[in-house]
Amino acid sequence: MTSAVPLTLVEVSKSFGSLQALKPLTLAIGGGEMLALLGPSGCGKTTTLRIIAGFETPDTGQVLIGGADVTDLPPNRRGLGMVFQNYSLFPHMSVADNVAYGLKMRGVPAAERRVQVRRMLDLVRLGQYEDRQIHQLSGGQQQRVALARSLVTNPSVLLLDEPLGALDKNLRERMQFELREIQRRLGITSIIVTHDQEEALTMSDRVAVMAEGRIVQVGPPTEVYDRPRTRFVSEFLGTANIFAGTIADRAGPFDWAVALDIDRAAPSLVRSDEPLASGRRVLIAVRPERLAIRPAGEGEIPARVQDVVFRGSYFAYELAVPGQPGPVFAYSQSRRDVPADGRVGLTWPADGAIVLQDAP
Amino acid sequence: MTRAAPVPAPVLPAPVPLRRRRRPNLAAWALGAYVVLFLAFIVAPIAAVVLVSFSSASFITFPIPGYTLRWYWRILEYRPFLEAMWVSIEVALASTVLAAMLGVPAALALARSRSAFAAVIANLLLAPITVPAIVLGLALLYFLASLSLGLSLTALVIAHTVAGIPYVTRTVLAVYRALPPDLEEASAVLGATRWQTFRYTTLPLVRPGVFAGGLFAVLTSLDNLPLSFFFGSATTNTLPVVMLSYMENQFDPSIAAVSTVQMLIAIVALVVTDRVYGIEKLTAA
Amino acid sequence: MITDVEMTADAERPAPALASAAPARGGRGPYRLVRSRWTIPVLVFLGFFFVIPLGTNVWRSVATGQALTAGPVVFYAKLLRDAYYVGILAETLKVGAIATLLCLVLGYPVAYFMVRHAGRWNALIVFLLIAPLLTSIIMRTFGWRVLLARKGPVTLLLHDWGLIARPANLADDPVAVYVALVHVLIPFMVLSIVAVLQQVDRRLEESSRVLGAGPLATFLRITLPLSLDGVATGCILVFVVANGSFLTMLLLGGGKVTTLSVLIYQQFNVAQDTGFAAAMGNLLLFVALICLAIQARFLRRQGVKA
Repeated sequence: MTSAVPLTLVEVSKSFGSLQALKPLTLAIGGGEMLALLGPSGCGKTTTLRIIAGFETPDTGQVLIGGADVTDLPPNRRGLGMVFQNYSLFPHMSVADNVAYGLKMRGVPAAERRVQVRRMLDLVRLGQYEDRQIHQLSGGQQQRVALARSLVTNPSVLLLDEPLGALDKNLRERMQFELREIQRRLGITSIIVTHDQEEALTMSDRVAVMAEGRIVQVGPPTEVYDRPRTRFVSEFLGTANIFAGTIADRAGPFDWAVALDIDRAAPSLVRSDEPLASGRRVLIAVRPERLAIRPAGEGEIPARVQDVVFRGSYFAYELAVPGQPGPVFAYSQSRRDVPADGRVGLTWPADGAIVLQDAP
Repeated sequence: MTRAAPVPAPVLPAPVPLRRRRRPNLAAWALGAYVVLFLAFIVAPIAAVVLVSFSSASFITFPIPGYTLRWYWRILEYRPFLEAMWVSIEVALASTVLAAMLGVPAALALARSRSAFAAVIANLLLAPITVPAIVLGLALLYFLASLSLGLSLTALVIAHTVAGIPYVTRTVLAVYRALPPDLEEASAVLGATRWQTFRYTTLPLVRPGVFAGGLFAVLTSLDNLPLSFFFGSATTNTLPVVMLSYMENQFDPSIAAVSTVQMLIAIVALVVTDRVYGIEKLTAA
Repeated sequence: MITDVEMTADAERPAPALASAAPARGGRGPYRLVRSRWTIPVLVFLGFFFVIPLGTNVWRSVATGQALTAGPVVFYAKLLRDAYYVGILAETLKVGAIATLLCLVLGYPVAYFMVRHAGRWNALIVFLLIAPLLTSIIMRTFGWRVLLARKGPVTLLLHDWGLIARPANLADDPVAVYVALVHVLIPFMVLSIVAVLQQVDRRLEESSRVLGAGPLATFLRITLPLSLDGVATGCILVFVVANGSFLTMLLLGGGKVTTLSVLIYQQFNVAQDTGFAAAMGNLLLFVALICLAIQARFLRRQGVKA
């Protein structure tokens, strides 16, 4: 029902005093797409969102909504919807008045407002709550009201600022799917800011990982998770074991053998789309769930089990590998028998290891 | 970290029957008794005045020999009381409205600014509260007299406005600082212009602070003898000024009656404010 | 004035071509509803009717009347050298100090009770503390004249108990001034202490008890030190207000307690020596400013927020 409108940021930058919060950033978000801005606090994701909303004016660059330059428009003339971190529902109004607010500001007549408010509250399954006061609602209900309020004006772009951060874990997971479903149904271009990697992966079509005022990687969730380009991305999205090594020789069309900086290790395999020169020093990342534990003597890497922790759906093994600084983690669906001396071997498939772009 | 190795479960002792134990807290009781005495001390002089205002004796004596309303009739007969009461109310309301019109926008502008200069201005707005009223009154009288505004109602209103600005500013600053700025941003995103945001979001949310501060300003103004007596003239005497000069000549219960009436006016102001905005919102501010 | 950055934003900047490097723009800062120029009216008003009058008051005290002939500091020299005025200044500080001390000693237990024991009675106590604000100071002072009159209830009671030999008009005794001052000022002390005491985390007291301290040791070593901020705030407030009071001394104490404020009142009503009255006012203001400077300098050290 909303015609999908693309959003483009062109060379947008912003400094606060001496702090460069946002380095020149260019980003195109397609019509109807849900993009997640993911990063630790202070990475510039919130600044980016506030620039799009019009709360901050960028030092350089343009914000284009549907091709129109809105950089100098005040927030009220950008036609956006926004869900705030703590919902920012108006405490002095009822649920219906909150949802109707944007319509009222546009001069929509009261009768029409009532129809629209009812339609919106039905969409978020809060049809019975029109006359409630905000403080009478639970966190999840407030979240839905905030969503209804932001969507009732038919915005061209929906901005979500940590929208689920205040909810507890179970509710958060349920709302992730619900929000995603409504967004898909309306086909509305959306940006969600979050520091929760799981939320970003679950909800978005593409994830933009940000660090220190710039985007370090953009791509579909699976790509960003499986093929992180940098150590930062690999560690921010889940857990990663980082190994240093030297490329030995080619082992297949896309596979290379790598000699790890580990005592008594046999060469391991890495996969890369680009050719890797022999003798090149590399950093590689291996997800704990891609590391397999074998009996001692098997696998390329000798290791010793330090601890086993039950994490509900899997077992986490903490391992010491001679020559590797810090512990190595391996996740396993089932509990394995570990010999009394804890000695095991580790191995991974070629596509389980990613060559990072960072210098070793 | 949960170690995988099993730990033996501890053995619990057999349950003991539940017993309720209460320790008599002598210190707390003594403290409570003291607080009751203290509250009696706070209330006593006020209660005494109300009681005396109905006394049939024209001098202070206890026990009260009989009850009468004639001291209240005396207020109606003695014109300066009524006139001064009217001046007092006029001055209190006019100065509070003026203080709110000047102080509220400034408080809103200053509340969220983090600049050192804004802090200086905020302190200036709060400063009149810390200057002894008698000093402020003296200084203002000479200054306004030099503008030939000396003993006018205008001068009185100006003086009380200066004294009222800190009260209004203080509560509005506190209330507005406690409001999340997101609310106004949310309003803006929803399409509200600056004026609409101010009208439909900001103002309703800070209104309790405006009323609480305004109530303080009104009450202070009604009782501000040190500021008022400098501007005293036949047409500009406020109630406290007239009461003081009356007491210098006579000592009869009509002062008690006037005091009681003035207290009732203050209570009415409180109740009206409470009707407009709940008392719990006022005390929270 | 705070720079009104929103006004300086260049609104008419031509839109750059998409591909070209984006030009720098004047950042206009975060979206703020209220512009800083909203402070201008009140600044003009206070500048004109607060700052300038106090300034001319200083000028008047050094450049009118005697000050023109006998040197600019003649009034201040008189205040600080003449035995009579030095005595008045000392009396002012003494009255303020005694009233402050009485308020502290009598008020602290009440504040402690309100925070730690009052429970549902707290609202009533707060109401009774604030209720006097609904009455005029004249009413409260008059009330003490009634209670302490020769045939007033307090006097009769004291006589019955044999504490005084014969009923006298206690209202004209200096003690009445202190009673009335404490009555007017003690709510400020109690509420200042309550405000800070409420912030003291009860778990700190519980930790102290768990660590082996008794109730008294816990109070002296934990609660009291953590509430000193409120004590100091209350003391300075009470001291400054006490210095500025004169109605109490006019109506009670039989004219035996004369402070600087009373003198200003008399000077204005009787002598009309504007320069000298201004000098006395400035001295009073100076004392108040010293107290506030002390407050600004030494308070806020103790962060009690836990």
